[in-house]
Amino acid sequence: MAVILEKQRVVLRFEDTVLTTDPYARSVSDELNLEVFGGDFFLIRLARSEQASTFADACAGIIRPLRGAVYFLGRNWHKLRPDLANALRGRIGSVFTTANWINHLSLMENILLPQLYHTHRSAGRIRDEAGQLAERFGLPGVPLGQPDDFTPDDLQRAACVRAFLGRPSLLLLQEPTTGMASEILPALIQAIRDARDRGAAVIWLTRESAIWDDASIPATHRYRLVARKLMEVTM
Amino acid sequence: MSNAGFIQSEVNNKSNAARKLRRLLATIGLWAIDLWQQPVHFLSDAVAVIWQSRRRVTWRRPVRAEFMRQCYQVGTRALPFITVSGIFIGFGIVAQALLWLEVFGGTALFGGFLSVVLVREIAPVLVGLIVIGRSGSIIVVELGTMKAEGQVHMLDAQGIDPFLYLVLPRVLALSICMFCLTIAFVAVALMAGFVSGTLLGPTKFTFLDFIHRSLGSMDRQEYISIAAKTLTIGFVVGLISCKAAVAPNGSGAGVLDILPRSFAKSVLATLVISIVLTILL
Repeated sequence: MAVILEKQRVVLRFEDTVLTTDPYARSVSDELNLEVFGGDFFLIRLARSEQASTFADACAGIIRPLRGAVYFLGRNWHKLRPDLANALRGRIGSVFTTANWINHLSLMENILLPQLYHTHRSAGRIRDEAGQLAERFGLPGVPLGQPDDFTPDDLQRAACVRAFLGRPSLLLLQEPTTGMASEILPALIQAIRDARDRGAAVIWLTRESAIWDDASIPATHRYRLVARKLMEVTM
Repeated sequence: MSNAGFIQSEVNNKSNAARKLRRLLATIGLWAIDLWQQPVHFLSDAVAVIWQSRRRVTWRRPVRAEFMRQCYQVGTRALPFITVSGIFIGFGIVAQALLWLEVFGGTALFGGFLSVVLVREIAPVLVGLIVIGRSGSIIVVELGTMKAEGQVHMLDAQGIDPFLYLVLPRVLALSICMFCLTIAFVAVALMAGFVSGTLLGPTKFTFLDFIHRSLGSMDRQEYISIAAKTLTIGFVVGLISCKAAVAPNGSGAGVLDILPRSFAKSVLATLVISIVLTILL
């Protein structure tokens, strides 16, 4: 029986990258060299939410590293034209720690917004896919009201729906289970498994010990920030 | 020893003077850069709005939806207030004009008077001020809050260009709605003026005669002038409001700090545009 070895593409690569968000250009990390392949699942533990935002922003090419470069799908974020960089960001599904929603849009419009902006798929098809994902994450359907009308739990579920919508190449999940780990975790892990099977890479950023210690989370790599260095941890 | 001390203090004095001079030059330099930076940035943003609005790829579904939402907010929802303002102004100005021109036997000048005073000068400025107070401040508060709460950053992270999604639809909607609202204002003011003139007694015109006298005296130049004024005022007010709220250097200031500055700039810009275009056209 022939063994088929499938070489997955590199989705995200940090090359001698030093990160900063500091106006005085003080580094917040040591040199970082990291390759994230399609199908990889990185669980990264950080101490503070700002560190998670900085790391996620660097992954999405929003902030320029102090030194080195960040490549997404083989392209250096900071050598791309702004419109091309924006188009590539459309291939990333994100859950944010704060400010997940535009207040003047309904929750459904918020969920559909990135897909309507970046793709030519019909609104009906996007809505159908969102409906399926919503049911998967424990919502009765795509939520129609304003973001203020929903509980934090439902908003967190809706954030997961938006992140997985449109089969992204990279999932950047900042604290996706905040305050509701046990309820959403099985659905989230299953959704992550399906995304990885399709070739997507997943980066889950967390501060929670419960998530970090949970052996049921099938992370292929576990990293934690020690002092200013991101170190791989084997469990 | 004492000589050495004397030389040292002289050197210190010279270096202090040089430092003061450098600081003075730096201050003047920074002031000059800041003075030029603002208009240059404003101009480049204005060109970017016009350039991007011509590109088909700009008008994606969410941008179109946002443009329609803004047209509804700025245009349709302001219509009742514009109508009421038009009625009051019409009663005031047109009735007074009819009254005094009849008293002095100058009714032949009625059309010219109306086209110059009401249609060309008062309407664009007055509607501009209403739009600044009503819609400009909403834009500043809405975008300022979005910026402060990190929603603009979130759009960026999703690859949705805040300039295309937030700024461009608002600027264009304000520009187009300003023109439409001014036309509505003029129509209502003229009708109210005719009614008031008829009620007060001095008018001996029929309605058609009244419309013919007031609008017929306007030549092509005046129609171009009203279009140019309203479109430009709306565009500039929209851009000032958006820039005040989402400019990178504005992030430190709260919405309540930005609002009065943006209001003052918008009012000043409206008056300047009105005067400049009156002189030019």
